[in-house]
Amino acid sequence: MSGPVPDLAPLATSDASIMPGRRRSWLWPGWGAAKRVPLLVAGLVLSALIIIAGVLAPWITPYPEDAGAVVHPTQALLAPSAAHWFGTDIVGRDVFTRVVFGARVSLGIVVIVLVVSAVVGLSIGLAAGFFGGWLDAVLMRVTDIFLAFPALLLSIALAAVLSPSALHAALAIAFTWWPWYARLARGQAASIRRQGYSDAARILGASRTRQLVRHVLPNASTPVFVQMSLDAAGIILTAATLSYLGLGAQDPTPEWGLMVAKGQPLATTAWWVITFPGLAILVTAVAFNFVGDGLQSVFDPKRGRR
Amino acid sequence: MNALLTVNDVHLAYGEHEVVHGVDLHVPVGPYGLGIIGESGSGKTTIARAILKLHPVVSGSITFAGADVLALKGSDLSTYRREVQMVFQDGDGALDPRMSVLSSVSEPLAIHGIVPKSQRRERVGDLLDEVGLTADLMSRFPHQLSGGQRQRVVLARALALEPRLLVLDEPTSALDVTVQERVLQLVERLREERKLAYVLISHNLAVVDRLCESSVVLYEGTVMESGSTRDLLDSPRHPYTRALRSAVPEIGVHRSALTRISTGVGTSPAGCTYSERCPFALDICRKEVPALLEVDGRQVACHRAGEAMTLPA
Repeated sequence: MSGPVPDLAPLATSDASIMPGRRRSWLWPGWGAAKRVPLLVAGLVLSALIIIAGVLAPWITPYPEDAGAVVHPTQALLAPSAAHWFGTDIVGRDVFTRVVFGARVSLGIVVIVLVVSAVVGLSIGLAAGFFGGWLDAVLMRVTDIFLAFPALLLSIALAAVLSPSALHAALAIAFTWWPWYARLARGQAASIRRQGYSDAARILGASRTRQLVRHVLPNASTPVFVQMSLDAAGIILTAATLSYLGLGAQDPTPEWGLMVAKGQPLATTAWWVITFPGLAILVTAVAFNFVGDGLQSVFDPKRGRR
Repeated sequence: MNALLTVNDVHLAYGEHEVVHGVDLHVPVGPYGLGIIGESGSGKTTIARAILKLHPVVSGSITFAGADVLALKGSDLSTYRREVQMVFQDGDGALDPRMSVLSSVSEPLAIHGIVPKSQRRERVGDLLDEVGLTADLMSRFPHQLSGGQRQRVVLARALALEPRLLVLDEPTSALDVTVQERVLQLVERLREERKLAYVLISHNLAVVDRLCESSVVLYEGTVMESGSTRDLLDSPRHPYTRALRSAVPEIGVHRSALTRISTGVGTSPAGCTYSERCPFALDICRKEVPALLEVDGRQVACHRAGEAMTLPA
């Protein structure tokens, strides 16, 4: 600090001692807060393991080539053993290898859906809430039209029109997913516009772009991020549904939903073909749900973070 | 006197409902304080918002340093934004919860590009110093500050642009008494050091008495009495000013209460807006709106302003 300390300074110091708060960032409430929510820790650890497994798949799986279009007719439908922990499928590929590689596909779909729908939803929602008026009316009616259709049916219809692939399944899901984020962001932006700090920004002479980027976006995005983490599990399940219906990833892509679909006729004779990818879907969905629920309770203002 | 801000016959409305019915304000070049006194719902804050161009004006004019504020656009508006700043009632809501003190206070400097990036931190330190805060608060976020600290951060941010006019909307009402005192001392000091002019909005007569040369008493969007603060508080001519005056608790002094509770929106009588609550009201008060007339060195809007009124026993 420069300059002479004014007479008020001692009082200011006593003020500061009232709240000896540690430095905390707004984006990440810190391990202290996270640790109070054991589910969040469990979810984060589990999600991290799944992501690491997906990333390291070529190095940690015993038969990485089985993730692709190979056949081993002599080893078809072997029960789980030391050589094949999760057994083998109908063309003799190692199920464990394919389940681990499947994490890549599923996580890739989740990332694509979340990024596309968050970008589209936030842009539309923030513009509607911030500018209001006729723009708000037009954008929200368009959003309502999307919401009027059952999301899964719309995704299925769109995926059926496109050629079936994991990427197209992801885009079909994103197409029905963004309106929720638009609605959420619109509500946030509209309420932020009425906050004192929005008036303050205008009085300080901030341009509309600055108000949007510096004030509205950061304040509106937390609930959207929380919603995204809650949605990750739903996206995995939706992607699995599309694959199961043959509208998503195609063989030989190691997609969990597709593996379940292909293994279904063998459910009674070779239970492992369908069970392990099913468990993978379950565990991943649960892990992401833990993270979403945990984040929500950490960011919930009623928990007294502020 | 050299006029800095002139508000002339300004009418303000929320939708169809008019809440401010022709208010005049006059603020000369600083150091000078104008008080706006009134209870909640009297239109004080809406007037402040209109001065800062946050609320549309139905009719009337606002002039700042000779320029028509309502017509300002582009770079003229940007200049106006630099010269007129506001301190909000609620220091908490006025600070972006996602911004550190450093970002908040340096935002006006960045917007108007008046201090190079490399020197902003130092400038923010000086500003915090000026409002009696230590520079180590720079990395804090609003939720990590006390109410008094937040209010002073808001003040530091408003001062960053070296405004000529400051609008203070109930700057101390959210603070406890000892912190109030510090903020008041700060305003007194800035007023002299910076030759600051300000409009102080308050329901607290003691605060206005201390900081403002002249005052305007507002009731339901209409000026009841305006003039020098001393005159208004020492010898109020309008029954409402008298009621406000006697509502200030003073130990050992007998006081008459405000006779009736405000009936609120939608019941305004044809005549004087205060007639419903006024213990001195006559028939004429309920039929005719009294004009704001010069009485005893100040302006009073009351049919009986010239009489020596005493409360009926």
